[in-house]
Amino acid sequence: MAVESQYKWTMVVDIDRCTGCQACVVACQAENNIALNDEESFLRRRAMEWIRIERYWEGEYPNIKARFIPVLCQQCENAPCEPVCPVYATHHNEEGLNVQVYPRCVGVRFCANNCPYQVRFFNWWEPVWPESLRNYLNPDVTVRSRGIMEKCMFCVQRIRRGQRVAAREGRLVRDGEVLPACVQACPTNALVFGNVKDPQSRASRLMAHPRGYRLLKETGTGPNVLYLKKVDPEFHG
Amino acid sequence: MSTGMDRRQFLKAAATSALGAVVFAGCAVPKRELLVESPVRMPEDLVTGADNWYATVCRQCPAGCGVIVRVMEGRAKKIEGNPDYPINRGKLCARGQAGVQALYHPDRVTGPLRRDRATGQFSPISWNDALDLLGARLKALRGQPDTVVLATEPLRGSLATLVDGFVRAYGAASHLTLEPLESTPLWDSMARLTSPILSSYTLLSVLPEFDIANTRYLLSFGADFLSTELSPVRYSLGYGEFRHPDESGRGTFVQVEPRFSMTGANADRWVPVRPGTEGVLALSLAYVMISEGLADSEAARAMTGGRGADALSDFQPERAAAVTGVPAGTIVEIARAFATQRPSLAVGGGPAAAQTNGTFNLTAIYALNFLTGGVGALGGMALNPVPPKELPRAARPPSPFASWRRLAEQMRTGQPRPVNLIMFRGVNPVYSLPTSLGFAEALARIPLVVSFASIMDETATLADLVLPEHTYLEDWGDDVPVPGPGYQVVGYQQPVVLPVHDTRGFADVLLVLAQEVGSDMEQSLPWKTYRDMVRDGARELHSLGRGSIVEANIEAFWNRALQNGGWWDASDRYTGPLPQPQLLPTQAPTPEFAGDPHEFPLHLVPFASHSLGDGRGAHLPWLQATPDPITSVAWQTWVEVGRQTARQNDLEEGTVVSVESPQGRVEAAVYVNPALPPEVVAVPLGQGHSSYGRYAQGRGANILSILAPLEDRENGALAWAATRVRLVKAGRRQPIPKFEGTMFAAQVPGSEVIEVTRP
Repeated sequence: MAVESQYKWTMVVDIDRCTGCQACVVACQAENNIALNDEESFLRRRAMEWIRIERYWEGEYPNIKARFIPVLCQQCENAPCEPVCPVYATHHNEEGLNVQVYPRCVGVRFCANNCPYQVRFFNWWEPVWPESLRNYLNPDVTVRSRGIMEKCMFCVQRIRRGQRVAAREGRLVRDGEVLPACVQACPTNALVFGNVKDPQSRASRLMAHPRGYRLLKETGTGPNVLYLKKVDPEFHG
Repeated sequence: MSTGMDRRQFLKAAATSALGAVVFAGCAVPKRELLVESPVRMPEDLVTGADNWYATVCRQCPAGCGVIVRVMEGRAKKIEGNPDYPINRGKLCARGQAGVQALYHPDRVTGPLRRDRATGQFSPISWNDALDLLGARLKALRGQPDTVVLATEPLRGSLATLVDGFVRAYGAASHLTLEPLESTPLWDSMARLTSPILSSYTLLSVLPEFDIANTRYLLSFGADFLSTELSPVRYSLGYGEFRHPDESGRGTFVQVEPRFSMTGANADRWVPVRPGTEGVLALSLAYVMISEGLADSEAARAMTGGRGADALSDFQPERAAAVTGVPAGTIVEIARAFATQRPSLAVGGGPAAAQTNGTFNLTAIYALNFLTGGVGALGGMALNPVPPKELPRAARPPSPFASWRRLAEQMRTGQPRPVNLIMFRGVNPVYSLPTSLGFAEALARIPLVVSFASIMDETATLADLVLPEHTYLEDWGDDVPVPGPGYQVVGYQQPVVLPVHDTRGFADVLLVLAQEVGSDMEQSLPWKTYRDMVRDGARELHSLGRGSIVEANIEAFWNRALQNGGWWDASDRYTGPLPQPQLLPTQAPTPEFAGDPHEFPLHLVPFASHSLGDGRGAHLPWLQATPDPITSVAWQTWVEVGRQTARQNDLEEGTVVSVESPQGRVEAAVYVNPALPPEVVAVPLGQGHSSYGRYAQGRGANILSILAPLEDRENGALAWAATRVRLVKAGRRQPIPKFEGTMFAAQVPGSEVIEVTRP
C-alpha cells in the first residue's frame, strides 16, 4: 500500500547571501552532539562538519575573489550512498530525508566512498568530552560511538518534535515552525528550509527561482537542496 | 521501533524492498515496507524531560544580542537567537552559540583562591574570608587619595551605574576600561561629526545605526562589520536584506582595506589600499564628488568653506593615487557610483582606525555621508535616540591606550602616588597590552591584585585573590545595546541555570564590599542584591508606560521583561535636529609607523580572529575549531603573506617564520593568502595564551605582544596597525591545521561547484 507523506523537506541555499561566517557550522555541532574537532583532527583531515563552508579563490591579486558555499548532505533522490549500504543503515525516508540509523551501521564506509559531496563522516575514534562539557549534550540526539558513520539529517529530531506538537494540535507543521539548527542560526538568512509539499512555504516559492541550480548536477544524484547562484557584477563568464 | 519490526522482519523487508526498488523503479511513491524508521523517531514515552527556554543577553562580545537558552533538567543545552530581540531577530553567530562551553568549561575556577607570593601557589579560601580580607583592605586604603584601581571592560546598563556609584562613593578609586582593539577613534569621529547639535550626554551614549539593509551602495574602509566589528549579527541581517535580489534591487558593496578580510571577501569589488591612507582616499572621493557636481551642494559648500573642490585640491585623484596606491581611475569610478547610487553609506573601522591618524581617517570617511544626504536618512547613517533617564545607562567610550600606558608607569614608579590595590573584571591586560608596556612586571609591585576571572587568564595567574564570578548564563543583568537599532532597546539578562560552581556575581560582590567598607557606601548603593538593582531599573522603565511591554503593575512588567528578554519601543526614534556638515580638513596628517622601512619592510596588520575575537574566545573548543573563513585555519596562529612576498622570501605554507618588530618577536607558520597585498603581513589575534584553560594554553602566538606602543595623535588610542615588521625564517616547518583540503575537490565536467551570474 502506498503511503504518501504530507511532508517533503528541502533546503534552499542562497550563496549570494552567504558570508562564510561559520554560524551554521557551530550551530550544527551544538545541536547534533558532534565530537569536538581537535587540532589533530584537522591535521589528519578528519574534522567532522555536517555542514561546512567551502571557500574558493577566483582570479589573481588584486582582482581576486573569495567565494563561499555551505555544503551539507543534499538528501539526494538517487542517493549513491544508499544502495551500497549492506545493512540498510542509510536509506531514504518518506519525507525526502536521507537518514542514517546509527545502531544499524557496521562501519564499512562504502556510503562515504560513494558520496560525491563528501558529507558523511566516520567516527575513527571514540568521541570524548570532559565530564563537565557533557552537560550540554542534546538528549534528543544519539552520541555516535567509534566505528559509526554519521551525517546531516536536516535535524530530524527537531522535525519529529515539531510533528509531535502539530499532531497533538491536529494540524500540519507550519512553515518556519521547524528549522534545522543551521537555518535557525544563519545571520543573513542565506538558508531557507521548508516543506515543498506546501506550495505556500518559502522554500516552495523559491523552487523556480531563476538563479537556482543543483550541486554537481551531472552526477545524477537528484539533490534535494537547491542552490541560488552567486551574483557578481564583475563576472564575465 | 514504532513500526514494531524486529530485526529478522527488518532484514526480510530489506530483501523485499531491494527487489521492489527494481520493480517499481520510476515510481515515486515509497512503499510501506520501505519505511525503515530512524531511531530518533521515538515513542512519546521515550522522550526524557521537557525543555524550557529562557531569554537572556549574550555576553560573548559587546554587541549584546538577545538569546534564548534551552534548559533541560537544570542543564543548559543550546543557545539560539531570541526571535523577538531587535538586535539579532533570532539569529546568532558562532561565538554566541559557544556560550554553553563557557558555562561548563572543565577549567573554570571553582571557588575563591588566594595566592602565596613566595611560592606562587594558589590555595582555596572561603568567600567570607576573601571578602573580609578585601573589604578590610579597601577600608584601610580609603583615607589615601586615589590608590585603588578598578579595571573592567567597557560597561553598560545597571552594572555601569553600579561601578560608577561604587567608585564615586568610595572616593579614592579610579575606574579604567580596556578594549584591546579600541573604539575610541570611532567614538571621537562621531562626536566630531555630530557636534554641536547633540548634547555631550548624547555623544557619550549613542553611536549611529548603519542602515545596511536599505542602502544601495555600501562603501566600507576596513570595517569588518560582518565578522568582528561592533554588532556583526545585526549587520549580517542587514547585509542579507541588502543582497536580496527580488525586492528593492541588489545593493553594490565595495570594500577598501590593506588586508583581505572576511567582510572584504563578500564585497562586489575589493580594493587594496596602503595602511593609514584611508582618510586621504575618502577626501579624494569628496574632491571628485564636489568637483563633478555630484555632491549635495549645500553640504559641499559648508564642508569646503564655500571654496568648493579647490579646498581639496591636495586630494585630486592623481595625487591621492600616489599616496594610497589606489589607481586614479578607480577613485573616480567609486566616487561617481557612491554619489549617484543612492542611498549610499560609507563606514570605516578596522585598520583604518588603528593608526596614528586613525581618528582623522574615520572622520573623513564618515563625513562622506553628508555629501550624499545620508545622515539621518533611510539607507544611511541613522541617529539613535537619546536614552531617557529611566533607562539603564548606555555605553561610554573605552579608556584610551594612553591611560593604560600612564597606569603602567604609575604602577612601576609609584609616582605621583602608588597604586595599592588593583582589581580586574572581564579584562586581561597582561595578555592584551603590548609587552613593551611592562604591565606584568609592574603588577608585581602592587600590594594587592584581585581578579574576578571565571577561567584562570594570564592576569589572574598574577593575582593575589581570585574571586571567580558567574558566567553570564548564571547571572543577572541588563543591557542597552550600542549601537542600537535606531530605537530604544533594553535587554534583560537572567540566570538560566543554578551556578555550576562556588562563584558569585561580580556586581553582588561589589555590593557586599560596599557594606564592608562603610555605612555611607551602603547608603549610596542600597541594594541587597544586584537582582534587586536590575529590578529597580525595570520599575523605572515600567513607569514610562510605553513600548513593547505595558502592564498595570511592576510584577507583571518584570515577568514579561524576563520572558521576552527585554523591552523596546520601536516608535521611539531620534527626532531632533540633524547634525550639520563640518569643514573638511584640507591637509592630511601623515600616518606614523614604528620601525625603519629598510630594516622592517612589511606593514603588520593584526586582525581580530573571527571566532576568538581579541583572545576572549580562545578557551572554548568550538571556537578554536571554527575554521577561519578565509584561510580555514583552526587551533593555531598563522602568518598571512601574499604570493609575491612568499616568492621573494622563499616562503610557503608551513614555513615557520619569526615575525620581528622593533619591540619583539613571535613565531608562527606561514599561510600564503593570494589576496594579501605584497607590502603587508597579517596575523590574527586570539592565540598565544600562557594560561586560560586547556584549550587555549600553549598554542600559537600573541601578536599583540610585539606591537609598538604608538598612539592616535588625537586621543591616545592604540595604533595597533602601525607597527612594521620583518620576517625571518626559523629554519623549520610546521603543518598548518586547516579545513581546506579535508575534502577532495570534486571535478565534475559541466557542474561548477559555485555558479555565478551577473545581476
